[in-house]
Amino acid sequence: MKRLVSLLFIGALALLLLYVVSKMPPMGEPTNPTMTHVVPRYLEKSEGEAHARNVVTGVIINYRGFDTLGEVTVIYCALAAVLAVLGREKRGRIRDYVELSGIPSSVIVRTMVALVVPFIVLFSLYVILHGEMSPGGGFQGGAVIGASMIIFTTVFGLHLSSVKVPLKVRAALEGSAVITFFLVGIAGILGGGNFLAYAWPRVSQSLQPALVTWLTVLVEVGIGLGGAMVFVSILFAMVREEGADEPLA
Amino acid sequence: MNLWHNFHYAVAMVLFCVGLYAVIMRRNIIKKIIGINIMETSVFLFLISIGYRKGGVAPVHVEGLDPSRMVNPLPQSLILTGIVVAVSITALALSLAILLYRQFGTLDVNRLFREEEEEAG
Amino acid sequence: MSGAYRHFPILMVTIPFFGAALLPFLAYLRRKAVPWASAFFLAISGGLGTFLVGKIPPGGHLSYPLGGWEPPYGIELRVDFSGYFLMMAVAGISLAAVIYSRRYIEKEVEGGRITAYYVLFLLMSASMMGFVITGDVFNLFVMMEILSISSYALVAVTGNRNAVRAAFKYLLMGAPSSIMVLLGVGLLYSVTGTLNMADLAARVGDTGYREVLIASYAILVLAFMVKAAVFPLHLWLPDAHSIAPSPISAMLSGLVVAVSAFAVARITFSVFTVHAWGLVGTTLEALAVAGAAAVLFGGIMAIYQKDFKMMIAYSTISHMGYVVLGITALNPEGITGAVYHILDHGIAKACLFMCAGNFIYRKGFRKIEQLKGAWREMPWTCFAFSLAAWSIIGLPPSAGFISKWYLVYGSVRAGKVPYAVVLLVGSILAAVYCFRVVYYMFFQPAKEGDWGERLSEAPASMSVPTWALSLATLFFGVFSYLFLDSLLKAAAQLL
Repeated sequence: MKRLVSLLFIGALALLLLYVVSKMPPMGEPTNPTMTHVVPRYLEKSEGEAHARNVVTGVIINYRGFDTLGEVTVIYCALAAVLAVLGREKRGRIRDYVELSGIPSSVIVRTMVALVVPFIVLFSLYVILHGEMSPGGGFQGGAVIGASMIIFTTVFGLHLSSVKVPLKVRAALEGSAVITFFLVGIAGILGGGNFLAYAWPRVSQSLQPALVTWLTVLVEVGIGLGGAMVFVSILFAMVREEGADEPLA
Repeated sequence: MNLWHNFHYAVAMVLFCVGLYAVIMRRNIIKKIIGINIMETSVFLFLISIGYRKGGVAPVHVEGLDPSRMVNPLPQSLILTGIVVAVSITALALSLAILLYRQFGTLDVNRLFREEEEEAG
Repeated sequence: MSGAYRHFPILMVTIPFFGAALLPFLAYLRRKAVPWASAFFLAISGGLGTFLVGKIPPGGHLSYPLGGWEPPYGIELRVDFSGYFLMMAVAGISLAAVIYSRRYIEKEVEGGRITAYYVLFLLMSASMMGFVITGDVFNLFVMMEILSISSYALVAVTGNRNAVRAAFKYLLMGAPSSIMVLLGVGLLYSVTGTLNMADLAARVGDTGYREVLIASYAILVLAFMVKAAVFPLHLWLPDAHSIAPSPISAMLSGLVVAVSAFAVARITFSVFTVHAWGLVGTTLEALAVAGAAAVLFGGIMAIYQKDFKMMIAYSTISHMGYVVLGITALNPEGITGAVYHILDHGIAKACLFMCAGNFIYRKGFRKIEQLKGAWREMPWTCFAFSLAAWSIIGLPPSAGFISKWYLVYGSVRAGKVPYAVVLLVGSILAAVYCFRVVYYMFFQPAKEGDWGERLSEAPASMSVPTWALSLATLFFGVFSYLFLDSLLKAAAQLL
């Protein structure tokens, strides 16, 4: 009975939404409101105003920078949430499933991963720094670093990866995305503009393009670093077994 | 009738309802979380389709490219934020699921809530 | 340059974010400093807010384009008087709750999670401030997400099995509603091409896409109804609010649901302005019916509760109905009543939960029955409770009286007399459930062994915030004339 009611409800909702879709402006037409109102300015002027050849990066970091500040705060919040739910490891080592089960992974896998992981990290740096002119950016690069740590942890276990990225480093860098963004924002106020202004009015016109570019890169690096550390810490919190903090006998 | 022309939107809406179905009807917590993810993805599909333009190219400035041919970059940046939000919700939901499993030994919603009634009564 | 104060709203939002980002490292160096540091960041935030007194024109607003991009292109903060008023309410109540947290959390939350608790607390308060002043619908979504994620986690922070279950229930209802907000924003964007509220307001009137606009409004309202726990969608609230640690219950019940209700007002008055009300009438009527049902349902359920915190949680459902009815009255009096009610309900509800927390901290008592004769041991907590309950019922001279007066007046002026009657009945119900507890506390003999003769109040860091809030309900009642004119002007501006 409950099933039937739910199905009817969802079916009715689907029909309503499809009806709404049929009344929406046709997709892809250049005359749609979405194409004519705000966006032309982004497309035409972002190179000159936001100094980013990748317009998406220009919108994210510059025009709608506060959303991105919110976004890095969300991911930071997710980390705090996961830690509030699952707890964090205490200082020192973590016993992990590789040790607990006593089954190491095979030599081939270990050798391959040890070889590949540095290149993945290198690639992530490329993604972060190249975000200004091609698809990519801080988050994507941070996620790639996080992925490399997932591979590393699956193969070598939590203990070794928590030695590679110790608690001290993570505690210091987890907030770096929010901190960088906030400081850049404050710098905008001190530079005579509004919060998150990249082209400081107090700096001469000729220097502004370089300034904006470098601040964009700084923010991207901050996001990448902070994002990566957040992903790694979330990974550790989730993989860590209960009662794993006791020192080994 | 724009429904056929807007089939991207239509697919997104159907996916939205599929996700909602999973969230409401599935008993397994992990499947509910997957349902939430399907809903999120459907909205991302919807937003990214809004930004599409016929014959459009990626919004990256290169020599000799006319900016008016680019697709809309705004929805792309919005869903980038949206994806991060989705990841965060999923991370929290999964860690709650881990904790629930540790404490109740089950991921079945019916069993979780039956125990709740017993404890209350 | 119009003075440095125009930067203050954004600093109020971002300084706690910054502080939250510093906390893990601070905890690594010196764990004891974390609660003080959090209180410090919230105090800075609130202190900056006090410099804005008199700077916001009552009928106008302070517009702050972030990054210097003029509004439709960048994100705009739009601080009108009601937004500023609520932002200060958030700052004040958060400060009280964070001071209250220090001793309480030490006892209930395991050591390793305390840092995460304060990080989430700062993010929750700051995102609420951002939520009420933002002038951009997508930014509204982002702020709402920070708020939601931190609230889900804070419910579960004790790690107690019921708490985790309640948090998961909250998340299961909250996450789909967040996605619906994004869908609604997407629909709005697809037919207007903008995300800025003022720009949207100018454009929704003359687009040809009526159905899409109606759908997006309905979806947004439905989503915010879930977040605000308006009657049929309240299922997550009683568990989450009663099981969370008391300072968190205070924040969730007092502020989080209320700012979500305020978001409905934002969407209705700042996006779908008076010109577009032809589109939203049906949804608003449905919302009003839900609000009226919530007032009665919450009140009746509260009377039947045995658990003290559960009773207060049901009372919140009832009071969210009040706020919704104020918004749907669609006149300045109703909106003023709603905004003022968010403030005084927030203060009084936070105070009630802190009193409950005091009892739990000292005695571990959660049942109403166990409060019989409590005044012998904890007279100050009992008096604070009575004062806050006075405001919840809405008796003069408390702040609750002022807001309920405006709510009833607004309903009558809108010609919706049945709703005015519902509001009054809600007050009677509130009197029933509040006076029962007061009667138990003061006029019933204590059960053997429950309460001794010796005075044992909660520690000062908990009693002082409790008392500060209970006195605030009186202050905002007696000195309401300081704010009401400006609020009425701000509300009239919206219409």
